[in-house]
Amino acid sequence: MTGYLYEKDLRQMKFTILTSTRHDEAVRAIAGRLGISDAKLRMVLIRRFDMSLLENLESRWAMGQQHADNGDPVTKELGCELFTRFVPLVDPGVMQSICSETRAMSENGPQEEALARGKARIREAVLS
Amino acid sequence: MKKTVDVSIPLGPVHPCWKEPVRLKCETAGERVIRAEVELGYMKKGIERIMRGRPWQEVMFLAERVCGICSVVHNMVFIEAMEEISAIAVPPRAAYLRVIVNELDRMASHILANFSYCYTIEHETLAMYLLNTREIVLDNLERITGSRINTAYMIPGGVRFDLLPEDAAAMLADLVKVEDEMKRHVRIFETGPLIALRSKGIGVMSREEAIRSHTVGPTARASGVEESDLRLRHPTYRELGFTQITRTEGDNFARVMLRFDEVFQSIDLIRKCVETLPEGPIRGGGLCKAGETSYAGEAPRGELTYTIKTDDFGRVLDIAIRTPSIMNIEACAHSMIVDAASIADVTSTFISSDPCIACNER
Repeated sequence: MTGYLYEKDLRQMKFTILTSTRHDEAVRAIAGRLGISDAKLRMVLIRRFDMSLLENLESRWAMGQQHADNGDPVTKELGCELFTRFVPLVDPGVMQSICSETRAMSENGPQEEALARGKARIREAVLS
Repeated sequence: MKKTVDVSIPLGPVHPCWKEPVRLKCETAGERVIRAEVELGYMKKGIERIMRGRPWQEVMFLAERVCGICSVVHNMVFIEAMEEISAIAVPPRAAYLRVIVNELDRMASHILANFSYCYTIEHETLAMYLLNTREIVLDNLERITGSRINTAYMIPGGVRFDLLPEDAAAMLADLVKVEDEMKRHVRIFETGPLIALRSKGIGVMSREEAIRSHTVGPTARASGVEESDLRLRHPTYRELGFTQITRTEGDNFARVMLRFDEVFQSIDLIRKCVETLPEGPIRGGGLCKAGETSYAGEAPRGELTYTIKTDDFGRVLDIAIRTPSIMNIEACAHSMIVDAASIADVTSTFISSDPCIACNER
């Protein structure tokens, strides 16, 4: 049995959480970092996160800005830790493969191009 | 939530262990909890929206109605934010009186949280003892402010009532009683073998997890997060030589014991305030002006932040309240409860993080 009795549609309430002053700022900042539209990000967040995680989104984003840095410039630029541990939008396994491929590409060619492709793959992973 | 296992167990929204309605959906494999999801929305007040456009004189009463347990600190943080915007100075005597009332409120909140925990693990005797002791604390809050819950004690530039010498003497006598009773309760909690079985090593949250989800207050301090008590930065508390209490176990036992320790610390702080209470006025006066600030104070459950924007007449144009339960409930659901060995541990772990749903939903 996987269904619940009295299951409610939480989308409207989740949207209300995301459109409060501080959450809206956080959503815009995350969307800007990922390079996707605010509306699309809101849709993804509503689908994937529970209400508690949405409420805490702004704090997690702020903590991620401070602490998500393992010293590697490539992973920091891609937001590997930020988008898996702090704001868990991407599966850690998928992020790991994106990071290692980007790192390999940047060693063999121009770093900007490698990072741009890495970011595009992260966008795909977020929107999938 | 993506279903990964066969059995999903919803706890709540109406549950004997919950003080307020919330629904926890637990995905389980046998008795083991794989993951949990929190469903809110049973008591949304929309209080931030109600506050917008109103003068500060109305908003200060609304602010303390965000939470029925730690209402004093909501009043304090809102008023101190208004004072920061308007550069209003507080007389030293009023600053000390604020600490006394705030610490009484913290004691009442911590004792209630530990009552809930003991009740959840079926130690009703200790739970009732704690509730009885809490009454003494609330009586003292009433003696100073005239009210037990919604006190509206602090106003920009001071406080509403002075502490009379006879009230101070009665409060100190009551604090001796509270201290003695609390020592006995702590002994019962510390030495109870069944309490240890239900609490030690249960609902463990590491320091890293606590930082990641920005856990605050006793929940963070029980996981060893240093410098997480905002009283360390508050000028009056600094004058009083406040130091933070920290534990490192990060389990249910640590969280409850830390709150017990903080009750004793609050008693000491109140005594120190009464002993060194400066003479002088309790109201300095001042006008609330236009401005914008983000001000944080240490509530019983942790960091409470008010982001306020006001106009020339002191009307609140925009306000956002970040309560400690927002972070603590999320950390509890996604770190502490995950991998719990039994569904019975879910309720006790959830209550050990002292969740306040009224604060969370605002």
